[in-house]
Amino acid sequence: MTEQQGVANPDAAVSPEFAELASDERIAKAAAALDRNGIRPLLAATGADARGLVDSLLTGGAEVYNNTSQTLEAIGVAGDIERSGRYQPLRLRLYRMDREMQRREMRTLAASPDYVVGSVHALTEGGSLLIASASGSQLGPLVSGAGRVILVIGAQKIVPDVATGMRRIYEYCYPLEDARARRAYGVPSGVNNILIINKAVTPGRITAIIVNEHLGF
Amino acid sequence: MSMFDYDTRPVTPGVVLVGTPASRGGFAIRDFLSRNGYPFEWVDAGRPDAVRAVLGVAKVEPSALPLCILPDGSRLASATVEQVASGLGMVAAPSRPEYDLTIVGAGPAGLAAAVNAASEGLRTVVVEAVAPGGQAGTTSMIENYLGFPNGISGSELATRATVQARRFGAELLLARPLVDVSADGPGYVAKLSDGTLIRGRAVLFASGVEWRRLDVPGIDDLLGAGVYYGAGPSEALACTDSQVVVVGGGNSAGQAVARFSRYAKQVTLLVRGHDLGASMSQYLIDQLSAIPNVDVRVRTQVASLEADDRLRAVMVRSGDSTEPAPLPANALFICIGGTPRTDGAAGIGLATSPAGYLVTGSDAADPGGSWPLPREPLPLETNLPGVFAAGDVRCGSVKRCSAAIGEGSMAVALVHRRLAEVGGD
Repeated sequence: MTEQQGVANPDAAVSPEFAELASDERIAKAAAALDRNGIRPLLAATGADARGLVDSLLTGGAEVYNNTSQTLEAIGVAGDIERSGRYQPLRLRLYRMDREMQRREMRTLAASPDYVVGSVHALTEGGSLLIASASGSQLGPLVSGAGRVILVIGAQKIVPDVATGMRRIYEYCYPLEDARARRAYGVPSGVNNILIINKAVTPGRITAIIVNEHLGF
Repeated sequence: MSMFDYDTRPVTPGVVLVGTPASRGGFAIRDFLSRNGYPFEWVDAGRPDAVRAVLGVAKVEPSALPLCILPDGSRLASATVEQVASGLGMVAAPSRPEYDLTIVGAGPAGLAAAVNAASEGLRTVVVEAVAPGGQAGTTSMIENYLGFPNGISGSELATRATVQARRFGAELLLARPLVDVSADGPGYVAKLSDGTLIRGRAVLFASGVEWRRLDVPGIDDLLGAGVYYGAGPSEALACTDSQVVVVGGGNSAGQAVARFSRYAKQVTLLVRGHDLGASMSQYLIDQLSAIPNVDVRVRTQVASLEADDRLRAVMVRSGDSTEPAPLPANALFICIGGTPRTDGAAGIGLATSPAGYLVTGSDAADPGGSWPLPREPLPLETNLPGVFAAGDVRCGSVKRCSAAIGEGSMAVALVHRRLAEVGGD
């Protein structure tokens, strides 16, 4: 939802249809489709299980970039990456940098981590991943910059198809995210970029952990 | 997943620090956290709403400031750097009973030595009082370091070197200064401020320099309240739209000016000498001359400071004039070279130059008749066999980052010779 399309009302009610957890059958269907698309699916019953899976997937000492994510915050993965000492958290290195003097360093550092850990806004039953972004900075590493990609996905994000996924972004994620951005940063959000990953060419590069819990939005 | 990323929200603050802007203790903790790359949220104790948001009450007793809330929710009243470091798990004990090389200081020389020593199989430990990077670690952009055509910040260089040193197995013990060194057979025992003892078969002093103090009445009362030594990263954003004054004629001062000019309304560089060419690299001189909000004043010194609860103006005396003139200033950064950091070295009898720098090589051969071996001291060896010095702390060193790295690397080759001499290498 770009500026031309106006600003969402932070108090706007969002459709409850996108907040419901998918059934086990739909989760299985999405997981099987991901597998067919070259994206490794893993299933987790809880956020705690997902947290353990992420830890087992990351190599100690690796450069890890954790995208800003309510999901990762909620299950403790963001804290594990930033503060456990087990990895090189790139977000902390970016934090140290002077935004005026070191813009180039920030850009290059964030662009090519060993691992990027994040989430998505929709996962289709056909195995496509949809991710919207205001700044776009997190999309490049997901597509090709990062060595490996780990995505943690609450089961409420599963949708039948890409069209519904787009609707989920505009009608559900964006109003909630816009309200959050205004509270957290004092600025509006925007669906300025949308990435759709239909298939991974490099087998095993992307792992999607589907969690049978309501995580993030 | 959020639609924003690093360019908007870099990191979740792990620590909340409540204090007054003019607090020296608060500044010390802010500086410590910044230099160690630890995210924190600073809350001005004078803003009731902000205080209530983090503490649930609108006011904090002044005696409890600075107050630090750690990631686990525990609170440190009247917090100190040491308490915060310990609370954050940054204080580790040495893992080995003995090391081949104890390195004092994690600036460019110390980190270069750590990388080379550890990569060659030496059991290596580095002790650092504050944060990796040393004086160079606070430099916003080093543009003449080999291999980085677009420049690299001091903190990023230090971060990479720290990762590299650890990858080879070097240990870094942070947040505790060295307080003493004593002989231990052919080796030495280093004692840290918390009582930690480290046995090393050889010692390298790469402890660098600290900023020389500016001799102006009342300046110590304003430390952290508008007056700062060096140009630490924690204050750059706070200088937005401010009047900033930097004192010094070296590269550190020039780099500070270049950084602050991006944020401040006006930056004035005060230089005691007649021109910058004697002490500053030409690329920096060229840069500064092209920045419109930078004013360089040569033959100018700070006469006094004007302040209420924080700095308001710097009284400067220029040229031959005897009458000081006011220069409005919200912040004064003092980057006037250094005095060698040799704390903990005095007791063991290390020879120093009149200015306090560690004497090495042929200069250390017999300064007090104390050299005990038939051979001459090795090039970076002090007057004590097996104790070496590299980087800015060494008498005669070139005060440049690349030179310090070269010396740190070279020192390791000499350490090998010493260890072969005493056996076991």
